[in-house]
Amino acid sequence: MSKNRENRVQFLELIAAKIRRNVLDICMQRGGYAGQGVALAEIAACLYFDELRPDENQWFYDRFVMSNGHDAIMSYGALAVHGSYSIEELRTYNADGTKIDQSPIEGQLGFEITAGSLGQGPSQAAGIAYGERLKASDKRIYCLFSDGEIQEGNVWEAAMFAGHQKLSNLVYIIDNNNLGATGSTQEILGVEPVPEKFEAFGFAARRINGNSVEEVLEAFEEAKQTSNKPYAMVCDTRLFEGISCLQSALPTAHYVAVDDADWQAGLDEINQRISDLTAQACN
Amino acid sequence: MLLTGERSLDSAPFDEISFDLCSHRRDVIIMSADLSKYTQIVRVKEELPDQHLDVGMAEQNLISVAAGISKAGFVPVATTFACYATRRAYDQMIICMGTSPRTNIVIGFMPGIANPARIHHQAAEDLGMVRAIPNATVIDPMDVTDFKQALDAAVDIPGLTYIRGHRGATPRILDPDRFHFELGKTYQLRQGSGVGIITTGLASQWGLESSDLLEQRGTSHSLLHVPTIKPVNEDEIAEFCFAHEQIVTIENHQIVTGLGSLVSEIVSSIGGGPRITRLGLPNSWAPGGTLGYIRGQLGLDADSLAKTIEGVLQ
Ligand SMILES: Cc1ncc(C[n+]2csc(CCOP(=O)(O)OP(=O)(O)O)c2C)c(N)n1
Ligand SMILES: [Mg+2]
Repeated sequence: MSKNRENRVQFLELIAAKIRRNVLDICMQRGGYAGQGVALAEIAACLYFDELRPDENQWFYDRFVMSNGHDAIMSYGALAVHGSYSIEELRTYNADGTKIDQSPIEGQLGFEITAGSLGQGPSQAAGIAYGERLKASDKRIYCLFSDGEIQEGNVWEAAMFAGHQKLSNLVYIIDNNNLGATGSTQEILGVEPVPEKFEAFGFAARRINGNSVEEVLEAFEEAKQTSNKPYAMVCDTRLFEGISCLQSALPTAHYVAVDDADWQAGLDEINQRISDLTAQACN
Repeated sequence: MLLTGERSLDSAPFDEISFDLCSHRRDVIIMSADLSKYTQIVRVKEELPDQHLDVGMAEQNLISVAAGISKAGFVPVATTFACYATRRAYDQMIICMGTSPRTNIVIGFMPGIANPARIHHQAAEDLGMVRAIPNATVIDPMDVTDFKQALDAAVDIPGLTYIRGHRGATPRILDPDRFHFELGKTYQLRQGSGVGIITTGLASQWGLESSDLLEQRGTSHSLLHVPTIKPVNEDEIAEFCFAHEQIVTIENHQIVTGLGSLVSEIVSSIGGGPRITRLGLPNSWAPGGTLGYIRGQLGLDADSLAKTIEGVLQ
């Protein structure tokens, strides 16, 4: 790896660790989707801090569509690092009267669509991509959705449309964590083989380790090199990846209630990781 | 008296209701769309696995597969949250179930503001949607007792039946020995004069809470619980309305197309009659949060309701 590349990876790993800490900080107040937020930290770091091009207002030029809603916790964690949300306001997540919805409504900073009724992001992202292309804009459109959402027919209608329209400005990022609301997606309604399915619908697709900064960066690169086709990044992840004590305590917790988790042990682990990475960066 | 003396709380009503039903009706298949845990289906899954089917998170498919299963001679009970059952799969509900003579049951859990996640999870139009389907049956039970009895009745009703489900700590308010669910029947829970309160579903609990306050304050009133939204006994509703100076309807639903509309339609088709004040969710998105918080914000807490009801008499 070149020095530059190495620095970039290290930088993003540190961001990912900070995202994880923010996710715990937010969810430990009143519960939340901590496992997903933690597991998606590398994807969020690469997306918000490397892939999405900035605009002149400290915001993003490219467009990101959060489809499933509850993964908003990932965005909250990242946008707190970015500085566009304060951790204090994010701590009202799940409180009565909060503006920080667990599944956001269209118009909230960072969220293009009303999510929460799952499976409706891929079509809207395809629509945005189609419209941007029609305007001859060079904006790229990224949509994060989950393996649970893949069970919704709407997702495949979207994929067929995107493939047919050859939306090469569209990237689907799939959180393939083998988990739905009540257990393993493979057991409830199998979704695999995910990359092959998207290929059959006209995508270029690749399965990656969603917790490897390098693999995420490579896939984003490959997506940009792909012409004439939309791209599907199938990110294998595991709930709470990156915080081992919580992962072993809550391996399948779609939702974590406040008293379910040993938050402090998780925080200690991630704070240690942040200091290690910071020390490494200074060396 | 239809009410129990001592109210108990059932922490997982549908677990028991579904298990009891499946135990004596072996042709019933309880269906889920990756929400079995969240609708509290445990024992059927574990002990009667042939009578449970999970289609994954795919509600349009849930409704259509259920309709197919009914066409193979079984009685499907398709369960999910109210928002997905109705909004997401409405056309499937109409086409696959609504046009069929076969028994097809759909249970929509956490309807209206019984769900904390605003907008996307709060189906406040489901009663109106299903009510608009010709020949459909629509039931909004208030507690464990009529939830169970309504479902037990529904397995013998031809065509589509939509029931709003309760999950989590649910009170037993109606005495199962004295309350007998009959399709279309209305139930007078409090008898008085002056203002007639008409409620359904969760809002019947709210109605009782405000009725307690009104009683304490000496405000005469009656309370009518209407579990069947369709087909309802219109004569009973009309008789109740014309026996009062003022009518207030309360529902965990938009104030359009649901109970308030139903009552207004019945009274206006006769002519004259009392003024009708419709309470429920207004024509704006409800906030999210705990039920107590949302009720307070919308003026649907017991105290606000009692004040509104007293206000209509002035
Ligand atoms: C249309 C729709 N159906 C059902 C639900 C209820 N629900 C919320 S999350 C979920 C499971 C989704 O799976 P996934 O997004 O992969 O969960 P994760 O791995 O992130 O925990 C379900 C069924 C919903 N929100 N929307
Ligand atoms: Mg998943």
